[in-house]
Amino acid sequence: MKKKVISVLLATAMVTGLVAGCGSKGNDSQGNADGEYSGVELTYWSMWSNTEPQGKVLQEAVDAWEEETGGSVTIEWKNRDIKNILASALEAEENIDLFEDDYNRIANNYKDYVADLTEMAESAGYADQSYAVLNDQATEWAGFLPCVTEQPQVGGVFYNQDIFDEVGVEAPTTWAEFLDVCQKIKDAGYAPMALDSTYAPFFFGYHLSRYIGEDTTSQLATEGGWASNEGVIKAADSMIDFVKKGYLVDGAPDEYPASQNKMALGDTKAAMVVCANYVTAEVNNMVAEGEDPLNWGVFNYPAVDGAAEGVDQTASYVGANSIAVTKYSENQEAAFDLATFITSGEYDQKMADEASQIPADPSNTAPAAQNGTVEVLSGTSSPLTWNMGLNANSDLISQIQEVVVRLYEGDITSGADFVAALDALY
Amino acid sequence: MKKNKAFIIGFIAPCALSLLVMYLYPVVRTVIMSFFGIESVTAEVSDWSFNGIDNYIKIFSSPTFQRAMTNMLLIWLVGGIIVLVLALLFAVILTSGIRFKKFFRAAIYMPNIISAVALATMWIQYIYNQDYGLLNQILGIFGLEGKNWLGTDMKFWAMLGAFIFGAVGYYMLIFISGIERIPEDLYEAATIDGANKVQQFGSITLPLLRSIFKTNITFWSVNCITFYLWSKMFAPVSTEASTIVPVVYLYDTVFGTTGNVQRDAGAGAAVGVTLAIFVAIVYFIMNKLLKDDDLEF
Repeated sequence: MKKKVISVLLATAMVTGLVAGCGSKGNDSQGNADGEYSGVELTYWSMWSNTEPQGKVLQEAVDAWEEETGGSVTIEWKNRDIKNILASALEAEENIDLFEDDYNRIANNYKDYVADLTEMAESAGYADQSYAVLNDQATEWAGFLPCVTEQPQVGGVFYNQDIFDEVGVEAPTTWAEFLDVCQKIKDAGYAPMALDSTYAPFFFGYHLSRYIGEDTTSQLATEGGWASNEGVIKAADSMIDFVKKGYLVDGAPDEYPASQNKMALGDTKAAMVVCANYVTAEVNNMVAEGEDPLNWGVFNYPAVDGAAEGVDQTASYVGANSIAVTKYSENQEAAFDLATFITSGEYDQKMADEASQIPADPSNTAPAAQNGTVEVLSGTSSPLTWNMGLNANSDLISQIQEVVVRLYEGDITSGADFVAALDALY
Repeated sequence: MKKNKAFIIGFIAPCALSLLVMYLYPVVRTVIMSFFGIESVTAEVSDWSFNGIDNYIKIFSSPTFQRAMTNMLLIWLVGGIIVLVLALLFAVILTSGIRFKKFFRAAIYMPNIISAVALATMWIQYIYNQDYGLLNQILGIFGLEGKNWLGTDMKFWAMLGAFIFGAVGYYMLIFISGIERIPEDLYEAATIDGANKVQQFGSITLPLLRSIFKTNITFWSVNCITFYLWSKMFAPVSTEASTIVPVVYLYDTVFGTTGNVQRDAGAGAAVGVTLAIFVAIVYFIMNKLLKDDDLEF
C-alpha cells in the first residue's frame, strides 16, 4: 500500500513537471485589453541575451508596447548564435513574427522569408525616424525594404580627444596630415595607433578602398590579379611605410582585444584605433575603476593622394543590426509597429545610452562615447561593407586576411611582395 | 513463440526507428547533399541542383581546405606523437610505485575536467600574452626578448601546445589502465632473470599495451578530425588561416563567415563526407596494423 502511495505521488510529480514544461515561456504578458493590437500575439527572436544592456532595454520597450497596444509578445533570447539557426527556422516557417540580425544577412540571405516593409514604412513616416543610407543599402540588396534599423554602426578612426588636445593636433582629413598627426603624437610620448590582428583587414581594407574603391577590391579578391593593379601596390607601400615609422603601439598587431585595450591601459597609451563605433564601449569597459572613461572623437578615414579616378574619398563603413518581420507572419503590421516602437523615440534613446551605441532614430542624440559618429553616419552616401571588399571571396577570406596581417607584422616588406603573396593564393 | 516475437519487435522498434530517423537519415541525406548545389542546409529538395562531383572538386582545389587539412594532419602527427609519448611516459612513471601517485594522476588529468573554453582563455590571456604572459616573463628573466606567440607564424603552434596540455591526461589514464592489468608476476620473473626496468618496459609493457595503443591512436585520430573548439577559441572573431581546420571550414562554408554571407551547404556536406571517410580509413588502418592481442595474460 505504502509503495502504491509513493508511486502515485511520484507519478503526479512527474506529470506536473511535464505539464509545467509544456507551458509557454515566461516573457509574455497581457497588456491593455482595449488597445490597438489587443489579442495579437507576437513571437520575437532576439540576437541579444536578457542580461546584457540591449536585452534589458528591449524587454522594457516590449513591456511598454504591450501596455500601450494590448498586444502580447514572447521574446526568445537566441543570442549571437541566432545567425546559425535563423535560416532553418525561417525555411520551416517556425513561429517567428520578427527577429534581429545583421542587416546584410537579412537583406541577402533571408530576403525570401521577410516581409516587404516599404508600404508600412511609408504610411508610418519611417523615413524620418531612420538613416536613409541604411534603408537604401538594404533596399538595394533585397529589392525592397526588408528591415528596420535597430543598431547603426559606422567605421572610422576613433581617437582619444584628450591626447589630441594635449599634443595640439586636430582630426586630419588627408593621409599626409594623418602621418603628421601620428608623428606629433609619437614625439609626445604616446603610441599613435592600436591594432589587433582581427581588425588589420578592416584598417587595410579602408586604406585600399581609398586607392581603388571597394568594387575593384571585391573583384580582385574574387578573381585575383592583384599585381596588375598599381593602386594595390601603392596602398601596400604606404601602409608598410606607416608601420616602419613605428606608428603602431608596441606589440601590434596583437591578439584582440589586447592592442585596443592599450588606449585605456598600459604605460604608453595608444591615441587612435581604426574600427567600428562599438570599440569605444569596449575600451571604456577597460578603464580602471575610479578613472573617467575616455574622451572619444572620430574622424573619417583620411583621403589619399594618387587614388584611381572616381574613387570616393569620403565613403565610410556603415553597418547595422536590424529587425525584420517574417513574410508569413499573420500580424505584420503589429510586428512592424513594435519594431519601430523599439527603434525610435524614448526606447531608442535609452538603448543608445545604456548600450553606448548610435541611436537608430536621427532625432535622438548619441551618448558621449559615440561623439562624432552621427556626423560620420549622416555624411555617408556610399557605404562600405565590412573589410571593404577584402571579404568578397568566401573561400579565400581567411588566407587574404592572413597576408594583410603579415604586412602589419613587418613580414612583407614591399608592395610588390604583398601583391605576389596575394596572387599566390589563386 | 509468437508472443515472444511481438515482444521483441515491440522492444526493438523504438530503438531501431530512432536510429533510422536520428542517425541514418541525416547521414544518407548528407551524402546525397554533397552531390548537389544547395545554398541553405535546410533548403527544400526542389531547390537542389545536381552538381555531380563538383562539390568535391571545389573543396579539394580550395587552398583554404588544403590549408585546413594540412593543419589537421600536423595536429594529428606532431600533436599525436607528443601527446602519446608524454601520456605513456607519465603512465609508466605513475605505475612504477612513486609517492603521491594519486595527486599526480589527478593533477595531470585535471585539464580534462576544466572547460576547454576556460583553458583556452587561460592560455591566450595568461601564458601567451605579449605584455604580461608567463612565457615572455620567463624569457625576460633570462634577458631574452619576448615574442608574439599569437602572431601568424606562431599561432598554430601556440594552439597546438595548449591543446596538448589539455589532452595528455586523458590518454595517460587509458595507458595506466592498460599497464595496471599486466600481471605483476611477469615483472617479478623478468627481474629474477636479470632484466632491468628499460628491458622490462621494452619487452613486457610495450607489447602488452598493443591494444591500448590501438584504442588511443583511434581516439586521438577521431579527436583530431573533429577538432573545432580550440580553433574557434584561438580565432574567436573571424576564422584565421593559421588555425583553420576542416570542421571550421565546413562550418564557415555552411553558415557564412563574419563579413561574408555566402553559403554553400552542398560543399559543406562534401567536407563532412570526406571527414567521415577519413575516420573510416583510420579505423580500417588501425585494425589492419595493430591486430587485437594474441597474447593471453
